[in-house]
Amino acid sequence: MVQYNFKRITVVPAGKDFIDIILSRTQRQTPTVVHKGYAISRIRQFYMRKVKYTQQNFHDKLSTIIEEFPRLDDIHPFYGDLLHVLYNKDHYKLALGQINTARNLIGKIAKDYVKLLKYGDSLYRCKSLKVAALGRMCTVIKRVGPSLAYLEQIRQHMARLPSIDPNTRTILICGYPNVGKSSFINKITRADVDVQPYAFTTKSLFVGHTDYKYLRYQVIDTPGILDRPFEDRNIIEMCSITALAHLRAAVLFFLDISGSCGYSIAQQAALFHSIKSLFMNKPLIIVCNKTDLQALEGISEDDKKLVMEMKAEAMKTLIGQGGEPSNDEGVLLTMSTLTEEGVIAVKNAACERLLDQRVELKMKSKKLNDCLNRFHVAMPKPRDQKERPPCIPEAVLEAKAKKAEQAAEKQKKLEKDLEDENGGAGVYSASLRKHYILANDEWKEDIMPEILDGHNVYDFVDPDILQRLEELEREEGMRQEQEADDDFEMDGAEMPPEEQEALAEIRKKKRLLIQQHRIKKSTAESRPTVPRKFDKDKKYTSERMGRQLSTLGLDPTLAINRARSKSRGRKRERSIDKGDQNGIDDMDVDGNQPNKKLRFRSRSQSRSRSKSRPPYEVVPGEGLKDSAQKKKAIDASSIQVGFILHKLYTESCELSYPVLEVALKALKGLYGYRGESYCGGLVGSRSLLSAADDLLLDE
Amino acid sequence: MRLEKCWFCSSTVYPGHGIQFVRNDAKIFRFCRSKCHKNFKMKRNPRKVKWTKAYRRVHGKDMTQDATFEFERKRNRPERYDRHVAEETLKAIKKIDKVRVDREARHYAKRMKGKKAQVQKEAANELEQSIHMVKAPAALQKEPSLTLPKVYQKQTEDRMEE
Repeated sequence: MVQYNFKRITVVPAGKDFIDIILSRTQRQTPTVVHKGYAISRIRQFYMRKVKYTQQNFHDKLSTIIEEFPRLDDIHPFYGDLLHVLYNKDHYKLALGQINTARNLIGKIAKDYVKLLKYGDSLYRCKSLKVAALGRMCTVIKRVGPSLAYLEQIRQHMARLPSIDPNTRTILICGYPNVGKSSFINKITRADVDVQPYAFTTKSLFVGHTDYKYLRYQVIDTPGILDRPFEDRNIIEMCSITALAHLRAAVLFFLDISGSCGYSIAQQAALFHSIKSLFMNKPLIIVCNKTDLQALEGISEDDKKLVMEMKAEAMKTLIGQGGEPSNDEGVLLTMSTLTEEGVIAVKNAACERLLDQRVELKMKSKKLNDCLNRFHVAMPKPRDQKERPPCIPEAVLEAKAKKAEQAAEKQKKLEKDLEDENGGAGVYSASLRKHYILANDEWKEDIMPEILDGHNVYDFVDPDILQRLEELEREEGMRQEQEADDDFEMDGAEMPPEEQEALAEIRKKKRLLIQQHRIKKSTAESRPTVPRKFDKDKKYTSERMGRQLSTLGLDPTLAINRARSKSRGRKRERSIDKGDQNGIDDMDVDGNQPNKKLRFRSRSQSRSRSKSRPPYEVVPGEGLKDSAQKKKAIDASSIQVGFILHKLYTESCELSYPVLEVALKALKGLYGYRGESYCGGLVGSRSLLSAADDLLLDE
Repeated sequence: MRLEKCWFCSSTVYPGHGIQFVRNDAKIFRFCRSKCHKNFKMKRNPRKVKWTKAYRRVHGKDMTQDATFEFERKRNRPERYDRHVAEETLKAIKKIDKVRVDREARHYAKRMKGKKAQVQKEAANELEQSIHMVKAPAALQKEPSLTLPKVYQKQTEDRMEE
């Protein structure tokens, strides 16, 4: 049985070693590296882990100690008392209690310091907290060191205790010191107990095992007991007393009739009488040992009388067990361990007595069934064919019949039967509403809607809903009256339609502006910054300006004229009619509207740019490489024009003026400003032919 | 079968619609459609999202406390069926709805009370401030009314007509 095997208790380390073990384990098993640059929560976690780990380890180890050491109240009283005798129960309990307190203290320390660590704000602080925590825990253990040492000693001693099973068949040997108990046990078992001439050779209990009738018996050798008052007994004697008190065993009281143990029979008898209370309910056998030195018959009368008294006592126990009173052979026996005479007989007698007693007890106990397989119940063989059934009285039979009747009556029609009648599972569906308890049974099959107009009907169900609804309607009525009384809203004066138009126009313009701005803003990065010269949408014309101004209600003519005057138009307009502001010329077929194309091709733009540009200068963007190339181009074209003119004039005198105009304009464009004045002069004053010839000569 | 309220927008979730999300603390969130569900997953607060009922209630756009809301309450105790009670309840629901709708309309009217006047005032202001965008100051001086100016007609047209 494990609980009586004290060899399994783990070693209890000494205080210092304990601390060392735990701290080194903490050092090894938790992370070791932390820097002050880490996040504070990480640092805290690091140190908290160390503290908790240490606490956990201490807790575990101390718990194992506390759990493994037997609790004296929980084990068999024999062992409890034995341990008490050996180690002093109070001292033992105190030691364990101190360990327990230490464990709790360490737990508390850890908890407190973990709480503090949660708010540590620097690595140094956290570290010092951890150092403090561990230090305190170690101090606790140091304080508890002596208890640990004590427990270790106990453990070592306990491990060496003999493993005695208190419940099995046991034979107990007791008597004065030196009477021959150990020699006896040596003879019947394989135990090798010390046998020496001095008293108290055996200082503790020894166990041996012997067999009898295929059963194993424990034989326990006790140290000698002296005849002293109970309080004066020492530990060794108390061991045997404990064994006697708690083990249900057969007791062999040894008597040294020779007196060579140093004590007379009288003394031994006195001892016997003083401890005979311990022999209650135990089969007792009085063994007279050392008969080789002195035979039982040869002792003095007084001694004999004493021995008979003892025998009488022993007989009492025999009678108490309901055994055979006449058999007094098994009560007083003689033997000599030296010559081995009668040793076996003693053993047999003891075993027999014990066995009988145990069997009797077992028969009376409830656990008989467990042992039943070891008994044999004899079945009588049928001796003839006559039947002999069990005899049941009439009344019992009637009662049984009646009961069966009642059970059959109560059987009601089950739903399942109903279902089967109506077509089975798939066809018939039971009406679950059949057993509803309602105020009116007609309502049982009512269908109530669950949803109405987007509401759950069940949310509205209320016994006094009508009443509340009434209140609500009343309230509503009152409120409506109030509303009627409230004054009407005053409308401000409505805006007249023209103003509304203006407002609409304003809003439209605003929207447009915003839209344009947004477009401009969104395309700003990808839009090229094109100078106004190359404006292909032709947004910026004076026509447009004029239109816009007129919609604003202004007279645009002045502005248009100014704009036009600023832009140098055709020469004809300017030079001929300087006075006429409008520049209307009868000869001017095109009228007042200057042709944009012509204007663009005219000199005005180039003039506005730079007045000092020589004719052959190459303007970037023209497409000509250098001035030489330009000269060639101009001359080439002018030759052609001259030819054309010549041809035209010679072939037909009615040359329309406008055609010439066109041609000369072309020349002007090629020739530069000099050509312009030149050609203009030519056209005006000289004849056309000579003008053409002149041109030709000019090259 | 029950009609539930969407947790996000407070509209009714009919059976067969929407998604139900159960959190680890056993709180159930019901959504009427994936729009609400996705908004919830983005951890948006319905009280800040303009189109939800929660926002409207918090910002006073819709009625918050009213006697009509008291009628509709989830009662956890089952009542024994009574035909009369059922009939009355059904009729009452309709009436309560009507009352509620009326009250909401009144609430709206109260909210929009001074709106017209304000709008008109603003329009007048705008017109006065921005009249320069459609009518040149010169024209305004000549004709000080806040209306569109007469578009200037060219003299040539008159002449041509002649």
